[in-house]
Amino acid sequence: MNEDLYWTFIDIANGLLSGVMLGGYYAIIAIGLALTFGVMRVVNLAHGDMLVLAAYLAVLVLQFVPISPFITLALVIPVMFGVGYALQRFLLNATSVQSMERKGMSAGFGLMSPILVTFGLSIVIAHALLGGFASDARIIRNALSYSAVRLTEDLNLSTLRLIFFVIAVAILIALHLFLRRTHAGRAIRASADDAEIAPLMGIATPKINALASGIAIAIAGVAGVMVGMSRTFQPFDGPVFLLVAFGVVIVGGLGSIVGSLVGGVLLGITQVLAGTYFGPSAQLVAGYILILFVLAVRPQGLFARRR
Amino acid sequence: MSISAPDQPALLTVRGLSAYYGESRALYGVGFSVERGTIHSIVGANGAGKSTLLRAIVGMMNRGRAAHTAGSIEFRGRRIDALPTEEIVGLGVTMVPEGRRLFASMSVEENLVCGAFLPRCRGTLGETLEDVYSLFPRLADRRQQPVSQMSGGEQQMVAIGRALMSSPELILLDELSLGLAPIVVDQIYERIAAINARGVTCIVIEQDTERAMRVASAVSVLLEGRVVLEGDPDELGRDRVSAAYFGLEPAGKAAGKAAGQGG
Repeated sequence: MNEDLYWTFIDIANGLLSGVMLGGYYAIIAIGLALTFGVMRVVNLAHGDMLVLAAYLAVLVLQFVPISPFITLALVIPVMFGVGYALQRFLLNATSVQSMERKGMSAGFGLMSPILVTFGLSIVIAHALLGGFASDARIIRNALSYSAVRLTEDLNLSTLRLIFFVIAVAILIALHLFLRRTHAGRAIRASADDAEIAPLMGIATPKINALASGIAIAIAGVAGVMVGMSRTFQPFDGPVFLLVAFGVVIVGGLGSIVGSLVGGVLLGITQVLAGTYFGPSAQLVAGYILILFVLAVRPQGLFARRR
Repeated sequence: MSISAPDQPALLTVRGLSAYYGESRALYGVGFSVERGTIHSIVGANGAGKSTLLRAIVGMMNRGRAAHTAGSIEFRGRRIDALPTEEIVGLGVTMVPEGRRLFASMSVEENLVCGAFLPRCRGTLGETLEDVYSLFPRLADRRQQPVSQMSGGEQQMVAIGRALMSSPELILLDELSLGLAPIVVDQIYERIAAINARGVTCIVIEQDTERAMRVASAVSVLLEGRVVLEGDPDELGRDRVSAAYFGLEPAGKAAGKAAGQGG
């Protein structure tokens, strides 16, 4: 009886621990999507493909130089920043509501076109990766795959997941400080609050939007390398991560950094515990049940700001 | 207002300005100029084109087929009518928009600091901020308060303060008194006078014609997108301004400077 209780406790504790760790990684997958939507009101349907693109970029680097996968971030982050910056500056700014109105189109057209553009981009990226890397499942090999941190005799933590969690929290804190304490960060928030008035502060909104998009995609790049180190991936895996990101955003609420961390953690815990008790196939289902539950009870998300 | 000497050109000169929202026209060849250091009132009924005029000056009407202008706007002798808003603000023109339009997710101080985004303003940010707080002591006590929790009058102070943070030479004030109690409006206009006394030129849109004439040293009356009367408010007198406001003063008989030509 006592032994039963002990193992129940261990199961739950393990589930909570790895759920929390998974949550940090989920938050990093989602924060870029939330940032892009919060500032530009654009749902980037290619967000998941950006992750996969970054994972392949790391694979490519590692083919030439045998370094730690973590060091590939030194290249992945700036490249993905550039991708995000260019995407907004040259593609999405040209199809925004404002620029569609400039061309005499209706606002509705301007709301629709970024969705079509990013959907198209998603397909282009997936097919380009298929062409470049074939459809074989890849994984970014690393020394930490099977290593674990032992907390007690029966309580373990994957070293990789722990490192990811620390990186994720560090990125979220850095993003928070950037948005609060710097002129560029405040300009991003000003544009999100009132894009028409922000230019009266001397803010060039096209550039600020591109900066926000660059940051969003750079963080997605970090998430992509993490994904690649912890599981196998293929060129068409993008939508899987897009769904994770949507889930986190729905649970945590848009426009809140804390919300994306909590949303990620809740989703992670739900999935891991469901997996422990009902088997691996229950993981995804439990995640979606949580999403549906939040949508029914608090559709704005747990941490959404009033608008 | 006397006509300015050639060596002292007007701070802002608008010539033959027409403005369009898509196919519909809001301004018909408006012309007027604003002298350095003055307060210039623009009065007119709803829909006369006052807000459109201010939006055009700060480049907010350069929106392709959605909205565009024709004619010229010169600030310190330089054409600004084709510039984007952020560059016009960079030159020293800014606007307190109708309805205040504060950044709703931010505190008082964050709103103010946003106003100092321009690189030339960042170095002196601390001093400008203290300046604004000395002008509006009530804001100093509420630095960290979210703007959404403030009264309308306090929000208007934040909006004016935010505009001052870019150290403008010319500030456009659109309907400051909208939705505010008369006593609050008095306080706000008393502050506008103080700001003007520091050398900031102001263009004011005000529904209350009497107040508009009292605070300003020049007034332009807009009627259906045209300037129909312009001059020194004391010389014009209240009756003529009211008559022009209601379209009873025939255009072209304006005292003082010649008004802009109809389109």
